[in-house]
Amino acid sequence: MDVLNELLNGFAAALTWQNLLFAFIGCLLGTVIGVLPGIGPVAGVALLIPLTLNLDAAGSIIMLCAIFYGTTYGGTITSVLLNTPGEAASAITTLDGYTMTKLGRAGVALTIAAAGSFIGGSLATAGLVIAARPLGSLGLMIGPPEFFALVVVGISLLVALAGRSMVRALISGALGLLISMVGIDPVAGAPRFTFGMERLLDGVSFVAVIVGLFGLSEILAHRPGKDKVVVQAPGMRALLPTRTDWRRSAPAFARGTGIGFGLGLIPGMTGSVSSLLSYGAEKKFSKYRRELGHGAVEGVAGPETANNAHANGALIPLFTLGIPASPTIAVLMGAFLQQGLTPGPTLFAEHADIAWTIIASLFIGNILLLVLNVPLVGLWTSILKIPYPILTGLILMFMVVGAYTINFSVFDVFVMILFGLVGLALRHLDIPLAPMVLTLVLGPLMERSLRESLDISRGDLTIFLERPVTVTLLALAALIVCSPLLKLRKPAALVADDPET
Amino acid sequence: MTSVTEARPVRRLRRSIVAGQLVLAAVGAYVLAESAGLGLWNELGPGPGFFPCVLGAALVLLSVVWFFQERAGVQAAPAAEEADGSQVRSVMLSLVVLTAALPFIGFQLGVFLFLMYHLRLRARTSWIKSVLISLCGSVGVYYLFTLGLNVSLPEAAIVPLSLIGL
Repeated sequence: MDVLNELLNGFAAALTWQNLLFAFIGCLLGTVIGVLPGIGPVAGVALLIPLTLNLDAAGSIIMLCAIFYGTTYGGTITSVLLNTPGEAASAITTLDGYTMTKLGRAGVALTIAAAGSFIGGSLATAGLVIAARPLGSLGLMIGPPEFFALVVVGISLLVALAGRSMVRALISGALGLLISMVGIDPVAGAPRFTFGMERLLDGVSFVAVIVGLFGLSEILAHRPGKDKVVVQAPGMRALLPTRTDWRRSAPAFARGTGIGFGLGLIPGMTGSVSSLLSYGAEKKFSKYRRELGHGAVEGVAGPETANNAHANGALIPLFTLGIPASPTIAVLMGAFLQQGLTPGPTLFAEHADIAWTIIASLFIGNILLLVLNVPLVGLWTSILKIPYPILTGLILMFMVVGAYTINFSVFDVFVMILFGLVGLALRHLDIPLAPMVLTLVLGPLMERSLRESLDISRGDLTIFLERPVTVTLLALAALIVCSPLLKLRKPAALVADDPET
Repeated sequence: MTSVTEARPVRRLRRSIVAGQLVLAAVGAYVLAESAGLGLWNELGPGPGFFPCVLGAALVLLSVVWFFQERAGVQAAPAAEEADGSQVRSVMLSLVVLTAALPFIGFQLGVFLFLMYHLRLRARTSWIKSVLISLCGSVGVYYLFTLGLNVSLPEAAIVPLSLIGL
């Protein structure tokens, strides 16, 4: 009953007109980012953090969460209408979604995708409600050693984000940690790697680094196609699926929710893995499996449900354990920290009202996206008709604004430009960017908690072996690090193609 | 009985990859040297230089391992698609000029000129469209942030521009 009461209180706070407006704007912006080429969810969320700077903590996170799951809805539109996934998790939807468009059933595909996303997202959020209390009660058992072990689990996940080469992933992770160490040392107060610059005493702006690495470098590396985009938005009547479409989609919705939610709980698994495995499940279990690849509605319903269930499910490790399961969630975690909230077990102990408001807003956001996406499909497709150079100019302008407004300093804009070049070089060298984001966020937390732990034990490292929770978490981290040896890796087909890694 | 000890073919490494490995190793070596001066360990455990020292050493080691992996063709980096040089130059140059000019000419004029460059000169968009979009992107965004979101953006420091509210 306690949980229900807290959730109802959360709804009361989330349903204020201000928070509804933030959720609405977040859903709109998230969908636009999902639709737009040349800007992925990681840079998109980082770029829009400045918009939330002057909002209260709950409003700010509500808006950023809405942007985050809005991107998964938006990515579907281009997959179905243009055969071009707006984001990685929607790639598999192109197989049947685009075929449905060629058969004149684009509207049905979009409606089923939106309904699946809504069902998957809402059920996964219900899972978060159920998991929040038991996992949140861990907060009372968390001291610096346990927190250190939790952060080590988070950092060990870069194994799962390695892409083609573990060595290059480790280089990326080490670079992220080094960047996070610029500035004043958190315990002794000594300046590190500041090159005598006062502006670097507070460290390098997280937003400027992420926007440069993911956003600017993506624009620099982008080679637009010469073909003009031809896209036809389906009319309102064409959006309605038949009863047969709903009946055929129902089992796919159920399977997609199970797969997406389950994999979302496992840090390091990306939404692309969920949608791919969901498609695989349809190929194995669907009554109409022979039609898959030829415009079967299950090929849209399953993967789209799975990727949204994954996006919402992946918030569980963040909210309850403070572990970011993907690069985008790492950026979201950066926004939490910027607002003075530390995601993890202590969140429910110290800021329960904010945490429940955000959880309630996830339900509301999923409804908003369902309402926004399908009827406004004409608007989303018109964005795709904007010539790429115009989009580039506007996106660059927002990058400048985003980097500047974090500290109101042009220095941060130069940092963003520098990291744009670094990102381009890393892409050229095939060094994955995802591990860097993870360590950039978690690095300072790891160092601080380790040194606080050793302060408690007066330098005795056995403190980490005396507490059961710490030992269990460190063992889990060791298992994750060794997982490539146990062949517990993501499907090989995804390793090279997954932009999230 | 014959034993065959055939040497594995040594791959010819791309220059850019070797340059990248050298830069990473140099960064690692610099961090290693710098962190030694920060204090590595004290009676309460690791000092400010401990973590950077470990990371610097790791970076050097990983760069060396990567070099040998590339030579042996193990998990080698695929040939990357070259970025469009003119796009990289024009985007970077325009961003640097805009950023340097922002404190002097302010956000509105700076971004207006920046967008005009990208829309009119690079994208060959019509004059009317370019001016309208640039006005929305500069003056519109300025007022959206300063009045709507209460987030201030740079204003011109040069006297004639600051006097007319730019």
